[in-house]
Amino acid sequence: MRCLKLYVLNLYFYTVFLLASGVVIPTLTLFVALTRLFQTQRRAMKRFRRSISLYGRIITSLPYPFIKLRYEPQGADGAAGPFIFVSNHQSASDAFLMCVLPDEAVQIVNVWPFRIPVLGLYAKFSGYLNIRMMSPEEFIRRGSQLLDERVSVIFFPEGTRSTDGSLGSFHGAAFRLALASRASVVPLCISGNGNIPPKGSLLLRPGTITVRRLPAITWDEYKNLTAFAFKNRVWKIIDRELSTTENRT
Amino acid sequence: MTEQEIIDKTNTVFEEAFEIEKERLVPQAHIFTDLGLDSLDIVDLVVALQNTFGVKIRNEEKVRDIRTLQDIYQFISSIKNEEIKKSS
Repeated sequence: MRCLKLYVLNLYFYTVFLLASGVVIPTLTLFVALTRLFQTQRRAMKRFRRSISLYGRIITSLPYPFIKLRYEPQGADGAAGPFIFVSNHQSASDAFLMCVLPDEAVQIVNVWPFRIPVLGLYAKFSGYLNIRMMSPEEFIRRGSQLLDERVSVIFFPEGTRSTDGSLGSFHGAAFRLALASRASVVPLCISGNGNIPPKGSLLLRPGTITVRRLPAITWDEYKNLTAFAFKNRVWKIIDRELSTTENRT
Repeated sequence: MTEQEIIDKTNTVFEEAFEIEKERLVPQAHIFTDLGLDSLDIVDLVVALQNTFGVKIRNEEKVRDIRTLQDIYQFISSIKNEEIKKSS
């Protein structure tokens, strides 16, 4: 019976997901294309990225109340953006969850997100960077350019999703970009979506997902660190937070 | 500079610039697999070693061959010996 409920939930979600995508994507595309006629390229791109975020919010609200999404900004955050967001990576849904962030942002991704039909194309147009397809120097140049335009950048520095809930070691690119650009770094902790969906599956399970935004680490706080030391400090911050939220030992 | 001084100063670089615990700094520790550095961290490592030992590290081939802490100790030692030879 429980299994049947799960399949019904998934059938419902994926049907509505496809229908909503079929309506929302062309509508937002048309809206952005029309506004581009009257706006600068920069403003149109901002609107385009906001539209992608809005699409994400619509998609993540579809499975409610079976799957709930909570956004918890922690403490008084006085740092000014743009930010470099650094998040743990548990599930394929993580990329969609970034819609909770109020900031204009692009994600740093691997090869496969660009191969997703339609969505991959939109990711490319909105300026998502494929870290595997450029040299470290080119990556720093393009990442810094985005930050100069006040576009935040989102990293999942584990690279691949964790299968046992533990936090994997981080790649250093986010922290090298921070040291090059002096942007504030914001650790993000995603919890509760290890099974939404689990690695190697598309089957969503009910649950509550929390995206916790931790206080920003400003240039003054990390300017004397190497990328390696900074990476490990942020790793420890996220790991400690996950241990608390998920009662890990 | 004695071998022990080179070891101590190199280990201090790893402790201070990379915040790696003293207990992990054993000669056979592989800098990539055991200590977790990646190829781009080597740039920071070279800068920190240059500042600590007051040497210029130019020989890229030798740097690429470095795998363990022991390799770094030997590498620094060879640079220091070359300096002594040049000055004498």
